[in-house]
Amino acid sequence: MSTLQRLTERLSEILDQDSVITDPVRLRTYDCDGLTYHRATPGVVVLPDSAEQIAAVVRLCDEYGVPFVARGSGTGLSGGALPRTDGVLIVTSRMRRILEIDIPNRRAVVEPGVTNLAITEAVRDQGYYYAPDPSSQQICSIGGNVAENSGGAHCLKYGFTVNHVLEIELVTPDGEIVCLSEHDPGYDLLGAFIGSEGTLGIATKVTVRLSRTPETVTTVLAAFDDIEGGGRAVSAIIGAGIVPAAIEMMDALAIEAAEAAVSCGYPEGAGAVLVVELDGPHAEVDHQFAEVDRICREAGAFEIRVAASAEERAAIWRGRKSAFAAVGRISPAYIVQDGVVPRTSLPEVLAGIDRLQEEFGIRVANVFHAGDGNLHPLVLFDDAVPGQGEQAEAVSGRILDLCIEHGGSITGEHGVGVDKSRYMSRMFSEEDLDTMQLVRCAFDPKGLSNPGKVFPTPRLCGEVPGVRKGVHPLVESGLAEQF
Amino acid sequence: MDPELIKDCVHCGFCLPTCPTYVLWGEEMDSPRGRIQLMDQHVQGVPVTDVMAGHLDACLGCMACVTACPSGVQYDRLIEQARAVVEEEHVRTPQERAIRGMVFALFPYRRRLRAMRLPMALSRRMRPFLDRVNPSLGAMAELAPPPATPVRLPPLVRARGPRRATVGLLTGCVQGEFFPQVNAATVRVLALEGCDVVIPPRQGCCGALSLHSGRDAEARKFAKRTIAAFERARVGTVVVNAAGCGSSMKDYAEVLKDEPGWAKRAAALRVRDLSEFLVELGPAAERHPLPVSVAYHDACHLAHAQGVRSQPRELLAAIPGLDLREIAESAICCGSAGTYNLFQPEAARELGDRKAERVLATGAELLVSANPGCTMQIAAAARRMQIAAGSRRAGKGEIRVAHTAEVLDASLRGRPPGSLGQVAGSGR
Amino acid sequence: MSADEDLAGCGTTVRPATDADAVAGVPPRWVALPESTQDVAAVMRVAAAHGLAVVAAGAGTMLHWGPPPERCDLVIDTCCLNEVLEHASGDLVARVQAGVTAESLTQVLAARGQRLSVDAPAEGATVGGMLAAGSAGPLRFRYGTSRDMLIGVTVVLADGTVAKSGGKVVKNVAGYDLGKLFTGSYGTLGIITEAAFRLHPLPADSRWITAVVAEPGQSLLESLAASPLEPAAIEIDRPGPREPVTVSVLVEGVAAAERAKAVQDLMGMDAAVAEKPPAWWARLPGEEILLSARGLPAAVTGTLRVIAAQAERLGLAPHVRGSAGAGDLLVGLPPESDPAQVAAFVTAVREETAATGGRLVALALPEAVGVDFWGPVGALGLMRRVKERFDPERRMAPGRFVGGL
Repeated sequence: MSTLQRLTERLSEILDQDSVITDPVRLRTYDCDGLTYHRATPGVVVLPDSAEQIAAVVRLCDEYGVPFVARGSGTGLSGGALPRTDGVLIVTSRMRRILEIDIPNRRAVVEPGVTNLAITEAVRDQGYYYAPDPSSQQICSIGGNVAENSGGAHCLKYGFTVNHVLEIELVTPDGEIVCLSEHDPGYDLLGAFIGSEGTLGIATKVTVRLSRTPETVTTVLAAFDDIEGGGRAVSAIIGAGIVPAAIEMMDALAIEAAEAAVSCGYPEGAGAVLVVELDGPHAEVDHQFAEVDRICREAGAFEIRVAASAEERAAIWRGRKSAFAAVGRISPAYIVQDGVVPRTSLPEVLAGIDRLQEEFGIRVANVFHAGDGNLHPLVLFDDAVPGQGEQAEAVSGRILDLCIEHGGSITGEHGVGVDKSRYMSRMFSEEDLDTMQLVRCAFDPKGLSNPGKVFPTPRLCGEVPGVRKGVHPLVESGLAEQF
Repeated sequence: MDPELIKDCVHCGFCLPTCPTYVLWGEEMDSPRGRIQLMDQHVQGVPVTDVMAGHLDACLGCMACVTACPSGVQYDRLIEQARAVVEEEHVRTPQERAIRGMVFALFPYRRRLRAMRLPMALSRRMRPFLDRVNPSLGAMAELAPPPATPVRLPPLVRARGPRRATVGLLTGCVQGEFFPQVNAATVRVLALEGCDVVIPPRQGCCGALSLHSGRDAEARKFAKRTIAAFERARVGTVVVNAAGCGSSMKDYAEVLKDEPGWAKRAAALRVRDLSEFLVELGPAAERHPLPVSVAYHDACHLAHAQGVRSQPRELLAAIPGLDLREIAESAICCGSAGTYNLFQPEAARELGDRKAERVLATGAELLVSANPGCTMQIAAAARRMQIAAGSRRAGKGEIRVAHTAEVLDASLRGRPPGSLGQVAGSGR
Repeated sequence: MSADEDLAGCGTTVRPATDADAVAGVPPRWVALPESTQDVAAVMRVAAAHGLAVVAAGAGTMLHWGPPPERCDLVIDTCCLNEVLEHASGDLVARVQAGVTAESLTQVLAARGQRLSVDAPAEGATVGGMLAAGSAGPLRFRYGTSRDMLIGVTVVLADGTVAKSGGKVVKNVAGYDLGKLFTGSYGTLGIITEAAFRLHPLPADSRWITAVVAEPGQSLLESLAASPLEPAAIEIDRPGPREPVTVSVLVEGVAAAERAKAVQDLMGMDAAVAEKPPAWWARLPGEEILLSARGLPAAVTGTLRVIAAQAERLGLAPHVRGSAGAGDLLVGLPPESDPAQVAAFVTAVREETAATGGRLVALALPEAVGVDFWGPVGALGLMRRVKERFDPERRMAPGRFVGGL
């Protein structure tokens, strides 16, 4: 009997029958997250409903030396929740209670499986909302947001998950339940944990900051003949000292897809649209709107629309927020990329992407958070055509190279996961990565928590670089990989 | 199952929060995304196992995922194909087969249904016993509405005032037998709004139950018969007041796509939901005040399958004095879903409770919906909650139910709100 | 070779220490004056080879914070790491060396209409010092603390390893965020040599709305914090336990004047609107004895009462100041306060505020006070493990941090 089988038998000590999945047909439905390019059928899936159950499962994993992976709603785009065939997949989708709403202190305590949008829906009537808003907010879980340090369209003004999470209860990779609070003295382990992509443990309870609903929100849609015009407008808006809540841009191909999917009704003939959202006190927003309107016109906008109602605002956003999945309407397959460049390098990088399209004969649709230089090129291909997938991969990788060349990052919000770990060494030196590994080793010396993610070569803790000899027992038993 | 349709799914997960079974159980294989993955497994050669059939059967077919999907996955087509495959390849237990056989031998046939009314009324008292024999039988007994006085509709009702349109009316099996007053109200509303209403006497089941359960041949037979009946009636438009029937009739061209002649005839049939039709037509008759608070429930087959959401709300909101309230989680199915409450009684009951709770939370006096299945389901759940709470105090667990047509009818005829609907759980 | 010789040969100016170089009373033997990250790395390699205990120092404004180091052989003075490496105004990003002072950074950024939205705690404070101490001032209510503005960091570890994380783009989730880990770590994990920050445009206009109240009602503070007028800061100042409390709210933006009127309405008739901050704004309320009382925003008035009551009981004169909006208060005590009474005060306030989830931490205390600086520390076990990985020989500011790390 394999180690995993022995462990699985003992799961019944912790969980009822309904919460342990071993049937192969069922297991396969968990074989990937939002990134379908990488698949692995988990060895066993558990659906716990308390921190204690997670801790008990993790202690079993620790005891048997079996790797485990946490999964929320499975919407991640970097394969961060890709299961291990030799491991346990711990799914938090049944832990979805909102435990406490504390308006006087502007915070809410939720379980990790609660969806991002559910928090806002729970407090909207009281005039509050949860600020980070990834495009998948109606389904992505807070636990996943914490793991990925998710952003969203509005993080230009409001920041990321890490700026809005005040406290986390987590299960450490050795199965201990620990609380990290912003108020605690000591190292900012809360900040280090957020965005660690499940490699430092599993969040079991999250306290988030609630933000006051702005007095007013103005959403502007500006249509340009081309991307350059939109780019000029973005630079001028930032240059004018305005920090909008969001500045989003879509190119012609992305508009076409969104139009096909949700009939968003963007201006016809637009080579690029800019969505600018301004929020805050009336007096500020009115002034900023006048400026943005002037700037867009000067930059060559041929049509400017302002959402007059919540419905119109939602309609403008619908096109943008559905853009990723909508690309499925115009292409059989595609890769979503997530590079970042300094905003001022956007024109050069976009020109570079154009050159890549020509060189490889592969179409790229561009959707991006223009305000912070976060590009989401959608590399389109037909997986039925032999070799096109590889071509698309190549284009995708070259786009990341462009980002790194311009002082940017290989991921702005989707995370490194399994998909981009191989690019990490292009962005970081060996010393950088070794230093990050120190954190990993402090939390997870056995390397059981989501192994194979984030880092290109999972170096084993306690090992001194350069003096590796023979095969490590963990490698031999298939629990770790070395390259 | 068409692999091309399966490929449309990009695994984004946007469908998950709208799926009733995912909302209940939080499991991937009981979500649309997971079910598509199961279908993909089958396409790749995995046979239909009990487990696979179970998860596919557990789909309510509410199509909320179709509304939510940004990639345009045709889940409605996929699940119909999948159900047909399950019916064909999967051997069900004898008990399952018996229940399914009984339902399909009963519900599509009005005369058989009529014969069932008395035994069903009796059976409600036998509920605990039936539940023990088989939960499906228990569910059937619980859902049964109180016997209604039969209403016979004439083959033609003339428009009041100048004629603005001629329409046909589908009377529906369950609607016709258990809720005849809804058909009567529909006819009056249409007539008052200036329509000649033709009611073909020999129309049978539209085939909805069969279609949504993967009984393909049966569905085609019913579809052809219904098309022929309305062709004979020579009407411009067929008005349907039952959401499930409307959605399946709108699908006839697809159902009959392998028979080009029939597909063409199907396409020529203009089918409209009552509310959809009335909004297109525009109001003519005077709306009298109807001071009542209404919680409007989106029937899945109306909201998701037909995309009709704003029209019923528009019609209701236009009634002077009517206070229209939204139900939380309005996109989530109530668990009725055609035959679902009969085949998956446990899940249906959980969903019904969830929905009834949210309906009661609105504090509305009247629950309005456009589907008899929903009304039966939510009424049963509310009744259960009432019994569980051990109280029949006013405002607690007590809600009257009505069809959109009945509310309009009351307003058009200047009837008091008290005339509307029956109290869920009154056991009248 | 001796440490002296190695240090002399490492390519960086190293001078013998004087009494003025003492760290919280502990005199070092040498002071190194590196000019680059590579210099720091070279010095650190020498320190590693000779097992020297190292403390990094900026302008020294907060060097006395925390318990004294157990050992201190070498001080790395960042005064020559004083270059603003890059101000990419179009990207709202600046990259600086750790020894750059807040004042000079402010000047450079202001020249192009921008700022770093973190208040400097004292004149001359360096960026590195502010990060190591996890500084935050009034603007924290709106913008968070220094960790929230930090987007990239370069550090040198105890063994001389140079590592960076983050970068110079605002949005970036590649790899672990070492910046967060090093911010507020009191120099116990390594030395911050460079930092990149996200910036904000300088506000077009600013107004401070200030009122003096006998004791602020929690409802007033909550209504200010909950106001959609977007205040940038909500500060209180109470010079003594029997003194009234000054509440001052900052609004920033083109329409600051207009919004200030609305804030004034909320605060009552006596509130005054000014174009300049009150004199005490963004200054620490104490020097040699300084405490931090953090907790939930709704507990602020309760904390004020606890502080006043304990001060009365022990005959102390605490000066309380801080962000009522964020629930983050500082308490200064006169240097001549009786050490035993100060210790009793720390213990009593710590215990009483803990009931509502508050944490009292001592930032600076004279040695004579002899009370634990930190109080209860959650997750200390994990912190120890982090320290052991980064600095297994305990040579980085040993003993200066929680749990004696």
